[in-house]
Amino acid sequence: MNAKDIIELNNELREQLNKENLAAYEDMLTYIRLSSNKSEQQTEEVLLELLEHLLEAQKSGKTAKDIFGEDLKQYCDELINEIPGEKMTKNMRFWSYIALQYLAVITLTFGLLSFLLHSFFQLGESSLRFPLGTGVIAILLDLGLFYLLVRFILAWMKNSSFKEKRPKKWVEFLQLWLIMTCAIALFYFIPKLLPHFGTTITVHNLVIAAIGVILYLIAKILNKRYRFTS
Amino acid sequence: MSQRSQLLKGILEGCILAIIQQEPAYGYELSMKLQKFGLTEVSEGSIYPILLRLQKEKLIIGEMRKSESGPNRKYYHLTDKGEEALQSFIEHWISIKHPVENILERVKRR
Repeated sequence: MNAKDIIELNNELREQLNKENLAAYEDMLTYIRLSSNKSEQQTEEVLLELLEHLLEAQKSGKTAKDIFGEDLKQYCDELINEIPGEKMTKNMRFWSYIALQYLAVITLTFGLLSFLLHSFFQLGESSLRFPLGTGVIAILLDLGLFYLLVRFILAWMKNSSFKEKRPKKWVEFLQLWLIMTCAIALFYFIPKLLPHFGTTITVHNLVIAAIGVILYLIAKILNKRYRFTS
Repeated sequence: MSQRSQLLKGILEGCILAIIQQEPAYGYELSMKLQKFGLTEVSEGSIYPILLRLQKEKLIIGEMRKSESGPNRKYYHLTDKGEEALQSFIEHWISIKHPVENILERVKRR
C-alpha cells in the first residue's frame, strides 16, 4: 500500500474513535507527521498501527493514555526517533515539486497581471527588462526564503500540538501577522537591493505567463507520477 | 530513561523476536500475546518504537497485508538476521538468568 492509500484509510477509520481518543490521536498524528525528513511510508504505516490499536482498545473502554502512556508527547518523540529518514531522492523530488508549483504561481500571476494592466489601462510595460544574472540570483534567494517560511510554518504547527491551554487567538494572530509581514517585505526588497549584473534581457509579459503555465504543467505531471498530494 | 525501562526494553526486544518467530503477527496481536504471557507491566504502546527499531536494524520485516476480517494490517516476520539475533538473545539470557536469580535471592526484600 502506498502512503497516500494508507492516509485515506486512516481518515476513514479515524471517524470510529470517540471524542476523547480522537483528540489525543489527532494531536499525535499532527506531531508525528510534522517531524521533518522522516520516511512518509514508514510514518503512515506506524500511524495506522497506532490507530488500529487504539480502536481495538477503545472497545474495552481504554483511552489513548492507557495505551501509549501518560506523556503522549514523549511517546511520540520516542517513535519519531526510530522512524527512518526519507530517502534523499524522494526529498529532492518533493521540494522540486513545491519549488515548481511556487514559481508557476508567481510567474503566471505576474505575467498575466502585467499583461492585463498594460493592455487595458496602459499601466507599466508590455515586457519585463532585467539583467539575467540578477534575475537568477533573485529567483534562488526567493526560493530559499520560501523554503524557510514553509519550514517555519510547519514547525509552528508542530509546536502547537499537545497544548493543554491554547494561547489566546489574538496573540497567535499577531505573531503570525508580524512574521508574514517581515517575509513579504523580504520577498519585495531582495530583488530591488541586488546589484545589477549579467546581460539585460527583455521578456514579453505573455511569455512570462506562458512560462508559468509550462511550469504548472510540469508540476502537475510530476505530481501524477510521484503522488505528492493524492 | 529510568532503570526499569532500560532493563525492560532489551528483554522486550528479545520477547518480540521470539513471538514473531513462532508465527508472523501484527502490532495489536503481538501486544495481546505479550500481555497474555503476563508482561502486563509494559504499556501496550511500548512495542511500536521497538518494532520500528527492529525494522531499521533489519531483524524483522513488516508487510501490509489484508487480514481475514478485512482491514489491512502490517504483519511482521523474522529475517535471517533476526533469527541470529534471537538465538544470541536466548544464549545471553540463559547465561545471566541463573546468576542474577542467585544474587537476588540473597537480598533481603523489604
